[in-house]
Amino acid sequence: MLEAQELVKQYGTCRALDGFDLTVEPGEITGLIGHNGAGKTTFVEVVTGLTRPDAGRVSVGGVDVLRDPRQARRLIGVAPQELALYVSATVRDNLRLFGALAGLRRRALDRAIDQVAGELQLTGVLGQRAGVLSGGQRRRTQAATALIGGAPLLLLDEPTAGADPQTRAALLEAVRARAAGGAAVLYTTHYLPELTDLRATLAVARSGRIIARGGQEALMKGLPGELRLRLDGGVAAAGRWRLPGSLTRRARTVDGELRIASTDPPADLAALLSAGYSPVSVDVRRPDLDDLYLALAPEAPHAA
Amino acid sequence: MPHETAIRRDAIPRVAVRGPDTWPAALARTGATIRHNTILLLREPGPLASRLIMPVVFLALLHPLYQAAQGPGAGIGQAVIATLVTFSLLALSIVGGSILTERVWHTWERIRATAVRPAELLAGKAIPAMAALLAQQALIIGFGVAVLGLKATGPLLLAMAVGAWTLALLGMGAVIGVLARSLSELSVICDVGGMILSSLGGALVPLSAMPGWVRHVAPGSPGYWAVSALQAALRGDGAGTIRASAVLAGFAVAFGVLAAVRAGHGSVRSARM
Repeated sequence: MLEAQELVKQYGTCRALDGFDLTVEPGEITGLIGHNGAGKTTFVEVVTGLTRPDAGRVSVGGVDVLRDPRQARRLIGVAPQELALYVSATVRDNLRLFGALAGLRRRALDRAIDQVAGELQLTGVLGQRAGVLSGGQRRRTQAATALIGGAPLLLLDEPTAGADPQTRAALLEAVRARAAGGAAVLYTTHYLPELTDLRATLAVARSGRIIARGGQEALMKGLPGELRLRLDGGVAAAGRWRLPGSLTRRARTVDGELRIASTDPPADLAALLSAGYSPVSVDVRRPDLDDLYLALAPEAPHAA
Repeated sequence: MPHETAIRRDAIPRVAVRGPDTWPAALARTGATIRHNTILLLREPGPLASRLIMPVVFLALLHPLYQAAQGPGAGIGQAVIATLVTFSLLALSIVGGSILTERVWHTWERIRATAVRPAELLAGKAIPAMAALLAQQALIIGFGVAVLGLKATGPLLLAMAVGAWTLALLGMGAVIGVLARSLSELSVICDVGGMILSSLGGALVPLSAMPGWVRHVAPGSPGYWAVSALQAALRGDGAGTIRASAVLAGFAVAFGVLAAVRAGHGSVRSARM
């Protein structure tokens, strides 16, 4: 549904996109993650035809965005990072406009408004002006303007930024439902647990290009988790610097707890036990998306 | 917490199938943007009401002054034209504001990311604003005719002059809307610019009573051509009305192209309050 190849976009001396490749299939939710300035928002702007790349190709549903941006936009529902609502108009008026621009008419439009409002828990505020809504309600209204037309490609740029748990849950459920209905979803976020909840495939952006792409399981395979132990008498009594084998260089202490980076926690625990250590408590933390993100993009690149 | 309707999973719509983009679809999009912009105009009626009431109050209070200066017939004509040109220039804030608020709310780029064509977007913005400007001018002329006894010998010529002036106002308002960087800047441009253009055009004070240099620069002001077109229409001078209206139409096209180029190149970005 979305296919981008070798996109390049330069702003002055800053290369916002530098060979950006990404494909998203129908029914797939792709989490696009990366530091601020990694190129995520520029990419969304290129896909919607608002920014023209210096090089590369991008198509939506087979329509060349650079050649026919308006035709491509008919296939896209977008929720930009920045709130963009008509604040003096009601929630219903906002949804009516974007639904109508997506091609919905009369009863179908009314039905779609009621449906998306129900999905995103906005039914009670449909008659209120967008300007008087809470932050969470505005976020949901913004997402609703993207979802209302039933677009085959959804571009959701940090849709839950600053949102409360209720907003987050409603949005994630709505996104999952749209993907189940066949929509391709590109979802950018800094809140990585959302991508686990969405069972999204991942695209990690850094310095204007995708540096890793695939399923969460595959990308996290081989990443160390953590073996967390509390020992009798605290860490000092454990003789931390005399741990067996390679454990010493993988270990650290946090709040009196011994934490050992480990790809094989049972083996490391066995090594500790056989060396005579007797933990009071043992906890194994599996690697998560934060670990993956830090492993792939350990720090934000310096701005050009 | 308001009651929320539970949504059944089987009720979630599947991806909508997109057919070809037809002209009825384009017409429907245009209708949607016109309706939406009318709603926006009416939801914040303060500026519109002010631009409708103020000129009538101004005309009611100051027409004796114009009559004393120019005589009963000519004085009423000058008073009506002065009020119409000055307050319609001040109403540029309605046109410019309708574009600038979109930039302040970040909805300008949001709506450009939809399937709407620039022409449809432009019509959606222009038609409600044009209706507001026409209503203002109709009210002023109507008040002049009904209450002050203004003689309009050529109503069709008057309609032509008003129409051409309204188009020029729309073009100027659009340029201000895409160029202004904030609402306060828009306010300054419309208030100060409006007074300068109407004064240079000889609307408030006849050019014959102004310094010589003003008479030389006056034709550069759209306000001058608005006054010329309206004066010619009131005295039934067809050639004079057509000539001045054509110049106003030229201004409308020039300003409209400038605004469209500026907006179409994506150089119009979000603005601040």
